[in-house]
Amino acid sequence: MAAASSIGAGSLRGYQRRVIPILEIVLFAVFVAAPVVLQDYITVFVTRALILALLALSFDLVWGYSGIMSFGQALFFGAAGYGVALLARDLQITSAFIVLPAAFVIGLILSVAIGAFLLLGRHPPTTIFVALGTLAGSYVADRLARDWYYLGGQNGIPSIPPMTAGGYEFAEGPAYYYLTLTVLTLVYLVCRFVVRSQFGLALAGVREHEARIAFLGYEGQRMKLAMFSLAGAVAGLAGGLYAFHEGFVWPNMLGVVISTQIVLYALLGGVGTLIGPIIGVMVVEIASFALSDSVPKVWPIVLGLLLLFAIQFAPTGLIGLVASERERVGDFGRPPLRPRHTDAAPDDAAA
Amino acid sequence: MCDQSAGGAKASRVSRRRFLHSAAWMSGAVATGVGSWVLQPRWSNAAAAPIRVGIATDLTGAIAYAGNANANTARMVVKDINDAGGILGRPIELFIADTASDESVAVANVRRLIQRDKVDLVLGGITSSMRNAIKDVIVTRGKTLYIYPEQYEGKECTSYLFCTGPTLSQQCDQFIPWLIKNGGKRFALPAANYVFPRAVNEHARKLIENNGGEVIVEEYYPVDQIEYSATVSRIMTNKVDVVLNTIIPPGAGPFFKQLYEAGFGRRGGRLACLYYDEASLNINEPQEIEGMANCLDYFRAVTSEDLASERIQAKYDREFPGRILFAAGTGATGMYRGLKLWELAVKEAGNLDREHVAAALDHAKIGEGPGGPAEMVPGKRHCKMNMYTAVAKDGKFEIVARSAGLVDPMAC
Repeated sequence: MAAASSIGAGSLRGYQRRVIPILEIVLFAVFVAAPVVLQDYITVFVTRALILALLALSFDLVWGYSGIMSFGQALFFGAAGYGVALLARDLQITSAFIVLPAAFVIGLILSVAIGAFLLLGRHPPTTIFVALGTLAGSYVADRLARDWYYLGGQNGIPSIPPMTAGGYEFAEGPAYYYLTLTVLTLVYLVCRFVVRSQFGLALAGVREHEARIAFLGYEGQRMKLAMFSLAGAVAGLAGGLYAFHEGFVWPNMLGVVISTQIVLYALLGGVGTLIGPIIGVMVVEIASFALSDSVPKVWPIVLGLLLLFAIQFAPTGLIGLVASERERVGDFGRPPLRPRHTDAAPDDAAA
Repeated sequence: MCDQSAGGAKASRVSRRRFLHSAAWMSGAVATGVGSWVLQPRWSNAAAAPIRVGIATDLTGAIAYAGNANANTARMVVKDINDAGGILGRPIELFIADTASDESVAVANVRRLIQRDKVDLVLGGITSSMRNAIKDVIVTRGKTLYIYPEQYEGKECTSYLFCTGPTLSQQCDQFIPWLIKNGGKRFALPAANYVFPRAVNEHARKLIENNGGEVIVEEYYPVDQIEYSATVSRIMTNKVDVVLNTIIPPGAGPFFKQLYEAGFGRRGGRLACLYYDEASLNINEPQEIEGMANCLDYFRAVTSEDLASERIQAKYDREFPGRILFAAGTGATGMYRGLKLWELAVKEAGNLDREHVAAALDHAKIGEGPGGPAEMVPGKRHCKMNMYTAVAKDGKFEIVARSAGLVDPMAC
C-alpha cells in the first residue's frame, strides 16, 4: 500500500519511473519466500548474509547519508557481539528481549563515545581524520581482544547457546532467519524514515556543503554525531545477531577486515540508497558462495577484480545501473504541493 | 571362443559407459561446484552407499602448508581403506572443505559439510581458535563426531570431540627434564602472546621448578613482532642455558637468527621449540638452528627404527611429492591416527550411529601408525602415543631420546 501511494506521489511530482520502491518490495518478497524453497543449509547461509546486510546498512547511514567515512563499523559490531557472548557465558542470559536491546545499547554507547571524540572537536574534522580514527579504533579493539584473557584471547568465546524467547529456541535455519529478517525490515523502515525526514535533508546538506548549512544555523557536527550513533547502534544489533547465529565470537569480528569488507559491499551495491548495500552484500556473498565451491583458490582474486571494476566503472554501484540519479538523491520531508520539474509536463497533460 | 569375445566386448562396453558416466558426474561436480571436493572412490561399488567423511582444514591462508598436509594424509588413508574394501562393506567418500585460516569462513564451510553433505565424521582444524570456532557447529548443533588432529595445549574436554595429537603434557613432561640435563637450569621462555604459548609457559614453569631449574626470562610479544634484539641481549647477559621458544612465524625465523648471531649456540646454549618439525626446518639456515631440540610424536628419523612409520612416510612421499610434507607439527600424524582409530571404532560399532561409534572410539587401539602404536585413554577422549625427542643437526632432526612406551596425555 505504502509503496503504491508513494509511486502515485512520484508520478504527481513528475517522476518518469521509480525503481527503488519496486526493488524494495521485490527483494522483501524474495526474502520472505526464500526459506520455503531453499534447503536449510542455504537458509542458514542467507541468514548470515542478512545479518551482514544490517551491518552494511549501518555503513550506508554514516557514509551515504552523513559523509562520514567510517572504517570502524566492525568495532561496534564486534563489541556488541562480545557483549552478548559474555551475557550468555557468564550470566546465562540468552533471551532475545534482553540480548538484542543490549547489543543495540552497546553499539550506541560506544559510537556516541567514539563519535563525540572524533567529531566534536573545536574544528570540524576532515574525512580522512575520521576514517583513520575509526580504522585505528577498530584495530585497537582487535588487538585488545586478542590479548585479553577474560575475552578468551586469540581463541575468542566459543559455545554460545542458542538465543531464546521464553521457552522457545531460535535454532539456526528458518527460525533464526525470520527473526533476522524481522529485525532487518524494522531497522530498514526506521532508517528510511530518518533519512527522508527534515533531519535527513539537513544532514544531506551537511554532507554536500557543511559551511553553508552552518550559516543556516544547523550544528553540522552534532547532527553527524546523531547519525553516527544510530549507525553504531544498528551495527551493534547486527553483532548481537551474528554472535548467536555463529555460536562464537573472535577478535577478527572487531577488526579491520570486516570493517573494510563492509565498505566494499556497500560501495558495490551503491551507497546513499539503503537498498544498495543490501543488494551489494547479497551479490558478493552469493558470488563467493558459488565461486568458493568451484574455484576455491582464485575466488578472492575474482572477487577483488569484480569490486575494482565496479568502483572504477560504476561508482554509483549496482543500484546506479537501474535507478536514476534523481531518484537516488530523492526528496525529503513532506511531499511538495507542486511539481518542481518541467519534464513533468507530459504526465500532467496525460492526467 | 566366439562367446568369450562377445562377452569381452560387452564387458568393455559396460565399463566404458560406466567410465563416461563417472567422468560426466565428476566434471559436472567440478563445473557446477556441487561437491566441495568430491572424491568418489570405487564407482563399481555403488550399490553400498558410501560413508561420508568431512575434512575441514586450512587449504588456503597463513597456515595452508599444514592444512594441505592434513588433506593429503586424509586422501592417502581413505584411499587405503577403500582399496581394502571400505568399512562395513561401504566405501568412504571424502568431502574436503577449506577453513581458509579464517574462522568466519570456516564456520560457513563446516556448516555445509554438516548440513548439506551430511557427513558422519569431521576431522580437522589446526589452531585452537579454529577448533573453538567450529566445534559447536559440528558437535553441539551438528550432532556429529569431531576428531581434532593437532598437537595443542590440552584442556579440550567436549563430549564427542576426540583429540589424536599430543598434548602439552605428552610433549613436556619428559622433555623438560631432558633439557635440564642436556642444557642447563637457567631457562628463558620468550613467547608470542596468545593462548598456546601462555599454556606452554604455565606448564613448563612448574616442570622446570620441580626439576631444580629456574625461569630467568618469561616475556610475551605481539604475534607479529619480528625484532628481538632486546630479548636476545637479555638472554645473553643473564647467562640463560635453555631458550624454550614459543614465538611463532613470522617472528621465529628472525629471533633464531639474532640468537645465533649473538653467540648463544656457540656458548653452549640449548634452543628448544615445541612446534618445530621437518616442515619448519627451511625457515632458517641450518647453522642458525643447529642443536634445536623438540619433542613430538613423530619425526622423519623414526622411519629408521619403525617399519610402519617407514611404510607410511614412503607412501606419502610417493603419492604427494613436493613441498607439502608429512610432519608431526602440522597435525598430519594426528590425522592418520584419527582416521585409523575411527575406522576400527566403526567396525566395532557395526554402524555409524554417533553414540555407538563414540563408545567404540573411546577405547580404540591401533598397532601401527606414524611413530608407533596409539590408543585412546577410555573416558578421556585423548590419545596415548610414543614421544620422541629430537635435535636438529645439519638441517635434519635426529632422534636422541624416546619414551619408554606410550605416554599418557593427562587430559580431562
